[in-house]
Amino acid sequence: MKLRVLAVLLLAQTVAAQQLNFVTCPVVRDTKTVPCFLAEYEGETYYLTVQQDISAEQYPPQLLHEVLVEGTIQAGPRVCGGIPLKPVKLSVLPEVKQGCNTILPAEPGIEAPPMRRPAGPSTRQPGAAPAAPPAPPVRPAPPFSEREWKVLYDFDSAFLFSRDTRTVSQAADYAVAAKAKRIEVEAHRGATLLSNGKVLVEAEAIAAQRAERVVALLKGLGADPASVNVRVVSAPPQPDGKSDPETRVVSIRVLP
Amino acid sequence: MKAVWAGAIAVLAVSTALALAQQTPGNAWISAGTAGVLPAEPEFPTPTGRVGLLLSTGPVEMKGHPFFTPLGKNGRACVTCHQPAYGMSFSAEAARDLWKQTGGKDPLFAAIDGSNCPNLPQDQEKSHSLLLQRGLIRVFLPVPKNAEFTINVVGDPTGCNTSPIYGLNSPTPTVSVYRRPRMAANLKYVTGPAPRIVLKLGALADTDPATGRPVGMNFMADAREATLLTQARSAILGHGEAQSVTDEQLRKIVEFENQVYVAQIFDRSAGSLAEPGAPPTLGPAAMAAHRSGVLGDNDYDSVFLSFDAWKKGGDSAQEQFRASVARGADIFMFRQFWLRDVTHINSIGLGNPLKRTCATCHNHQMTGQDLSAGFVDLGTTNYPRWTEPPLYSDARDLPVFKITCKPEAQPHPYLGRVIYTSDPGRALISGRCADVGSIVMQQFRGLSARAPYFSNGSAKNIRELVDYYDRRFDMKLSETEKQDLINFLGVL
Repeated sequence: MKLRVLAVLLLAQTVAAQQLNFVTCPVVRDTKTVPCFLAEYEGETYYLTVQQDISAEQYPPQLLHEVLVEGTIQAGPRVCGGIPLKPVKLSVLPEVKQGCNTILPAEPGIEAPPMRRPAGPSTRQPGAAPAAPPAPPVRPAPPFSEREWKVLYDFDSAFLFSRDTRTVSQAADYAVAAKAKRIEVEAHRGATLLSNGKVLVEAEAIAAQRAERVVALLKGLGADPASVNVRVVSAPPQPDGKSDPETRVVSIRVLP
Repeated sequence: MKAVWAGAIAVLAVSTALALAQQTPGNAWISAGTAGVLPAEPEFPTPTGRVGLLLSTGPVEMKGHPFFTPLGKNGRACVTCHQPAYGMSFSAEAARDLWKQTGGKDPLFAAIDGSNCPNLPQDQEKSHSLLLQRGLIRVFLPVPKNAEFTINVVGDPTGCNTSPIYGLNSPTPTVSVYRRPRMAANLKYVTGPAPRIVLKLGALADTDPATGRPVGMNFMADAREATLLTQARSAILGHGEAQSVTDEQLRKIVEFENQVYVAQIFDRSAGSLAEPGAPPTLGPAAMAAHRSGVLGDNDYDSVFLSFDAWKKGGDSAQEQFRASVARGADIFMFRQFWLRDVTHINSIGLGNPLKRTCATCHNHQMTGQDLSAGFVDLGTTNYPRWTEPPLYSDARDLPVFKITCKPEAQPHPYLGRVIYTSDPGRALISGRCADVGSIVMQQFRGLSARAPYFSNGSAKNIRELVDYYDRRFDMKLSETEKQDLINFLGVL
């Protein structure tokens, strides 16, 4: 019994040790295909992501900006020369940092992982059928019940990326179809515990800015303005170093 | 009988077109209030060949038509800045010719915005230097009430931004910037599509005030007008200094604009661009026939379709030139480079830098605009990547503003919180620091007819345009690659 408890404790420690939260300059590694984005922390190189398309869920960081990395070390071989972090949340910090400007050249033996599209225009495999037009959006159908959507943000950002506007659109479509009596929008300001013990807290106004943008989009997409109720939570939470990305959130709850 | 009549009209149109085509560029200017018929398919000489128009609904009688008729007190009409012979814009060279011919009396040179500032002596050429040298029209805008920044004038060669009557400290604080008129043609591509959410903003698109429907936000440098109709009204009351304009006049103007297609139709080196077997994107008829809204950033239905017909080359000068054009099309589509520090491209989730090609941003099939609302900060107006001489240079002719972002604002993604700019671009409409220097990109058609290029008229020719991109993105284009690109862009 004692052994089991010890094993669980060891496992917990291992899991905790695999989580890394740090702020650093991203490093771009060119390859013969698309570039990889890396980060160095305490003498080790980590693989963050690869150049993607706008439809991707994970967006790369940006040179001239520091990146907040909140990720878990993934076992297995190095990717693009770095230890992979997965899952990983990458936040481009808003202020310009001129020193973040390193592009490493392609080197033999360093390959980018499989990517959604090449560095040039998108391609169609030989013999493949022409791309079908996108399917028309599926109209939400009854029965309608209470549903919730969450928009997760980069640190100190209220920008709604393509992936986020898709989420808000789904909520708006559902609210319109369900003739929602009430839409509850709750916007939060987040905080992050870094691996070095430092705590980062988002700008005070960020929750209000997030709420404002989401509400404008909901209303513009047809949600009944009278049904929208907004709550802005500007007090930052106590960060735990594990689930901190989830504190930078706007939740949209639709009640038919 | 109908066929004979149609044939007669066609003969008349062709003969008129040929007569126009034989004129020199400087003589093809259509003055506001001109009477006569604009044929359905006129061609006009350009420095490298001929530009062609196609009026898809047929010839237009100019007399009394509100596009061609002065509606305000300064004698201007829409045609003053949107000249058929110059790709429905005008060239700086044409403006210089017009100055010589009219002694500066043409309404194009109206004090309000055809001069560097209305308070300058209007009979002097130097008071119109930006129009004559760069083809620029003064655009005067208030600082938005919601501006996330303060703005100060650092350099004011025209005197307008420090003028007690017209400047930032005047009773009606105004920022004067100077921009090229855009081509009023191929507009089905420019005004559409119009998705409800703008990718670059992460927010709703502007809407048509008449219908509430979203608009494309792609046909003015700063996307400040929602529709062709609101633009026409604003231009007539502003540039034209009219007291009023009727709904019927506006309807006719928009109706006319929506059926004008422009493209280069003949190139002195490539020959006919509209002959059977020519690349399918070339010529105004292709512009009229093709559908808008097609994303061309792919290798199977490309931005400017296929130039395979010209790839084989040959011994003749024409075949070799055509092969060069085809290589230029491939460079445009496939030549990779580091695309970096471009607001509303790198900053919207694509990462910085982005290893891609010209077609990544210039992706709307047939025009090379961005299919998404297209304002980006390429860098042409913002220090240090601007196209301008250094601040201390006597050659500097555009104003310089210092933009300081307020602490609570999101900074410009690549220039930070203090930005020096000759044109804040979209930021003068949105009020956002992040938008400083963002300008809607322009279509690539009929370029030969309407130099200079970029919104600030800084590239005197296509060579300078290509050179800017080569420097800006460290593309390391070879001389041959540059010439191929120049040849390619010149036949569009």
